[in-house]
Amino acid sequence: MRLDKIATIAWHEYVVNVRRIGFIFVTLLFPALGLLGLIAAGFFSGQMLSLARSQFVPPAKPAGIVDDSRLFTPIASVFAKGFVAFDDEESAKRALLAEKIRAYYVIASDYLATGQVTAYTENIISGSASTESGDLRTFLVNGLLTGKVNDATLTRATNPIKLDLVTLDSKGNRQGGGSFSFIAGFVAPYIFSILLFVSVFAASGYLLRSVSEEKESRVIEIILSSVSPTELLAGKVIGLGALGLTQVIVWLGSGFLLSGGIGALVAGAVVLLNPGSFVVAALYFLLGYLLYGSLMAAAGSLGTSMRESQQIAGLFTFCAVIPWFFYGVLLANPNALLPRVLSFFPLTAPTMMMLRLPMSEVPLIDIIGSLVVLLISIPIALWAGARVFRMGLLMYGKRPAVKEIWRALRNA
Amino acid sequence: MAEYAIQVEDLRKVYGDVIAVDQLDFQVGRGEIFGMLGPNGAGKTTTIRVLMDILKADAGTVRVLGGAPGAARERVGYLPEERGLYRGLRLDETLVYLGRLKGMSVASARKRAAALLEQVGLAEWSRKKAQDLSRGMHQKLQIVASIIHDPALVILDEPFQGLDPVNSEVVKDLIRDLRAHGKTIVLSAHEMSRVEALCERILLIHHGRAVLYGALADIKKQFAPNAIEIAPPLDWQGWAEVARVEARDRKQVVYLQPHIAPRDFLKRILEQGLFVEQFALATMPLEQIFVTVVKGE
Repeated sequence: MRLDKIATIAWHEYVVNVRRIGFIFVTLLFPALGLLGLIAAGFFSGQMLSLARSQFVPPAKPAGIVDDSRLFTPIASVFAKGFVAFDDEESAKRALLAEKIRAYYVIASDYLATGQVTAYTENIISGSASTESGDLRTFLVNGLLTGKVNDATLTRATNPIKLDLVTLDSKGNRQGGGSFSFIAGFVAPYIFSILLFVSVFAASGYLLRSVSEEKESRVIEIILSSVSPTELLAGKVIGLGALGLTQVIVWLGSGFLLSGGIGALVAGAVVLLNPGSFVVAALYFLLGYLLYGSLMAAAGSLGTSMRESQQIAGLFTFCAVIPWFFYGVLLANPNALLPRVLSFFPLTAPTMMMLRLPMSEVPLIDIIGSLVVLLISIPIALWAGARVFRMGLLMYGKRPAVKEIWRALRNA
Repeated sequence: MAEYAIQVEDLRKVYGDVIAVDQLDFQVGRGEIFGMLGPNGAGKTTTIRVLMDILKADAGTVRVLGGAPGAARERVGYLPEERGLYRGLRLDETLVYLGRLKGMSVASARKRAAALLEQVGLAEWSRKKAQDLSRGMHQKLQIVASIIHDPALVILDEPFQGLDPVNSEVVKDLIRDLRAHGKTIVLSAHEMSRVEALCERILLIHHGRAVLYGALADIKKQFAPNAIEIAPPLDWQGWAEVARVEARDRKQVVYLQPHIAPRDFLKRILEQGLFVEQFALATMPLEQIFVTVVKGE
């Protein structure tokens, strides 16, 4: 295998594709949208906010209280803006229908024993129920405890939790704390893994298109007279992989710039807080791309047109997306049996592990096992891909049958 | 230095149940123009692809420029039958890239590309994209692409396909020029007249096997009919030696009875005192030899 030829092909693929209108458009689309969003936010933030409020937030009307328990009336002055007392349900209902109050609550006479409160409202606004119950809860706790406990206890009883999340590693050492830790330890790696995933498939897509176009334009046989199929495949995989990375770097770079450096800070924290995970994620990225890239190139050589090649390649994309179908299982337990099994299957391993890594501490055996599976699968995929590639490239106007593909692999 | 540019012995290539090439033997000498002929599906392209290491032989020995196929890729130029170029790339970019793949430096590829484009009349188009070219221009560009690296051996599969007579002459001149510079050329073509005009030796493949192989002159002699080309045309009424007569341009092809030797026929003409400007042994056109052999198989 000649490295200089591989480098020439890689460079050619990169340079030719990086200046395509389609590539430039897609690469700049996300930064442009982000910039547009920022400009829009800058110019219209005040108006937009009031518009949103007018659409989604109900007018600030008080709620009615019909206190049959006699525990909460008269209403304390601190709640006077939010709650109005009514002597009976009938007068409260009239006020509601006249839109003077947003709802009214009937507190049962045996409230202390049962906790029974009935809420009446004209329309249920999605998402407002929890807010309502939160306000009412504060009102009730306050009513029950005022004068019986000191102010500090009363404050704590109405607002009992200020949660700080601290993650410990397997040795019991603190890994950091606070919401920044949550972002750096979970959200950012998760976004990072999505970006890697997008990058792998963007590059594989370019590979598929490049092979398919060269076959369709009949230029492939001229190229194959100068280089071996393996050299051609390797050059394309490297060149178009670099192209996919370029796209991700532009997206990340613009994200950092548009976020005013916060993105860079978080990304830096990701690397510093989880250097191991970062290295492993990068490994999965590389191995995943090599695996999918080889298979995509083979798929590109099999179709008689770009559309047909995409249909064939869809099978591999589907396999890679399977882990996302089980996202619910992953959230509940990233180390459950199903995610673990899919981590050892070559076509799902890169995606599954990229998803699992930020979620929890993945058992070492899973990491080593899936990496070994990929390291074994990649040479097989490259070998098979190059053979199918060699056969498929020379079949014009006809898609090879499964029997012919099998024969190409067997006779190689 | 090996005596032959190409040596093929007992080559066999099979696609599933179909035998594409079988027991094929031939050699191509260095510096000659060699014609590879055969009807569609005869096995020419498969043989060429094996020579180019694009396909692997199932059996037999193949040597190209003294080595295994693929070992001398940088010294072999190839124009495939199924061909095309990057439509969105400029001519000079395409040629430099293909030159780089053949081991040339960017500077030398650029210089050679300019010279070749000039030679085939495409110099003004060098910075245009391939998609802007006419079909004939495309053909010429592809031939230029196959020789950009100044190869010792050039394999051209149907180089005249899609060319008008003027451009065919340009390509013929190019091939003759390559030959004059000591290059070996293997030509696969359907146009027999062009093969006849260019090649010194030929190989006719049919059903994957060699059915005719050798020097073109010898083959033509072997297939020569017992006939004489005579000018000006004469009246052969009552001549028992003459089997039939065919008019050809301003000449006649006089087919003699099988037992009559041309020498005796000439003697008889002279005895009769007839005026003859030209008297030559008639040969069978290659196309007719081709049809005769293929139909006779």
